[in-house]
Amino acid sequence: MKRRWAGAIVAVVFPLVPWSQSRIDTDVGEFRAQQEVLYLWSGDHVKRLFPGFEGLAADVYWLRTVQYFGGTRLYARDKSFELLRPLIEITTTLDPRLEIAYRYGAVFLSERPPIGAGRPREGIEVLSRGAARNPDSWRLRQELGFFHFLYLHDAHRAAAVLEEASTIPGAAFWLRTFAASLLAQGGDREASRRMWRQMFEQAEAGILKENARLQLRILDARDAADDLTAAVAEFERRHGRRPERLDELVRGGVWRGPLADTAGVPFHYDGQTGRVTVATESPLWRPR
Amino acid sequence: MGRGLSRVAAVAANTFRETVRERVLYNLVFFAILMTASGLLLGQLSIRQDEKILIDIGLGAIDLFGTLIAVFIGVGLVSKEIERRSLYPLLAKPLSRGELFLGKFAGLVFTLLVNVAVMMAGLYATLAATGRGVEPRLLAAAYATLLGLVLVVAIAMLFSTVTSSVLASVLSVGVVVAGRFSDVVRHMGEVLPGAPRWLSEVLYAVIPNFQNFDFKDRVAYGDPVPASVLAWVTVYAAAYVTVVLAVGLASFQSRDFQ
Repeated sequence: MKRRWAGAIVAVVFPLVPWSQSRIDTDVGEFRAQQEVLYLWSGDHVKRLFPGFEGLAADVYWLRTVQYFGGTRLYARDKSFELLRPLIEITTTLDPRLEIAYRYGAVFLSERPPIGAGRPREGIEVLSRGAARNPDSWRLRQELGFFHFLYLHDAHRAAAVLEEASTIPGAAFWLRTFAASLLAQGGDREASRRMWRQMFEQAEAGILKENARLQLRILDARDAADDLTAAVAEFERRHGRRPERLDELVRGGVWRGPLADTAGVPFHYDGQTGRVTVATESPLWRPR
Repeated sequence: MGRGLSRVAAVAANTFRETVRERVLYNLVFFAILMTASGLLLGQLSIRQDEKILIDIGLGAIDLFGTLIAVFIGVGLVSKEIERRSLYPLLAKPLSRGELFLGKFAGLVFTLLVNVAVMMAGLYATLAATGRGVEPRLLAAAYATLLGLVLVVAIAMLFSTVTSSVLASVLSVGVVVAGRFSDVVRHMGEVLPGAPRWLSEVLYAVIPNFQNFDFKDRVAYGDPVPASVLAWVTVYAAAYVTVVLAVGLASFQSRDFQ
């Protein structure tokens, strides 16, 4: 009798569980960003909690950093990445040799929103600390130099850091010439392209490689927009007026290429100035 | 001498059987599940760090589980026998207190040896199954960890001869933790400016330095562990274990069980 009652209660009440869950998911969203709290902000304090297990603790904090970054980027409403820097600091204090945490951490911090936190100075600080703690790593110094140029547009500092990196045993042979060319040219789009291509070729499959690929596509889109601007000028020279729309360039025989960037978004044409730019709605648009 | 050794071996074998009967080796099942889950999940979660994390988890688990077994079983080997009064029939047999003490020590060390060996095999199996190389250098870290565990067993048994099992556990854990903070002890003056220098030097010399047995990070990054370093660590462990066992044995032999 008691069993029958228990069975009846389970049969009646249990369907309430998935039903109420579906209502909660509808109200709050199926993917809820975890309410992230960091109880300990100092890497040194965390280190003292795991005597003998610092490496393992660093792995745990690194996994948490990656999950925090991915979760915040995808699901959080407030994408300020407030905990990103302390998580990276704790991870690298626990394991100062964990190069991947400096490299990925710097990208997570430096990239503009919505991809990253948009705090390149902090990203460069992370790489600087990594380079100081790992004096034999030319890769960390190389990326530090690249970041100075790519995110802070400081060609002189970038060249100095690359020069330093080139003196580390085992460093890539091209670092010294790269530093020299940066100083000679003061930094241009071609230098950016070479840096991103290097990072693309050196990176393992994953976020870093994909980010470098995206940056190369952004540069390609800017090149194509500049070529289109030149084609507009050629059209004006030939016809004595500017085209009203970009497709006139094709009909006028001055352009044979595509009129959209590689993301499929048409380029923006300003008929007043004759200038062509990457459309702001394109994923390849970035402020200059 | 020969008979004494055979009696020590008999106690050791019995201690090993006892620990197996107490399901101590069940931690191996947990370890197997941990390694399997780590092997399957880490590739997706870690961004190119799965091999290092697998090694960290494997060696960390060997160290952690081993320490827990060494402390809690080590303490129980003597003090629980005293508290449950099961020691008296043993002492009534033609078996000296020294043989009993050393036999129990050897039995638990053998349990830990089996534990570490099976866990290392599991770690290697996981690395091989996930397409990673089987690196012999990991054995250096496992060996050093085992030496540290032998020292923990000796310390736990020493405390268990002088106090209750609960207090012996607390003291053993305290010494192990203090030994993992040897660098802090050595530089105590920087944290506590008023502390006399001689105190930090004495404490540094007396507290067993468990950092000596930690090569986990080094092997995880592929750094070599020179044989000479391992040899000195072995000498350190042997000397310390001998001293601790001698004190423990003296305490056990002089203790009045009435």
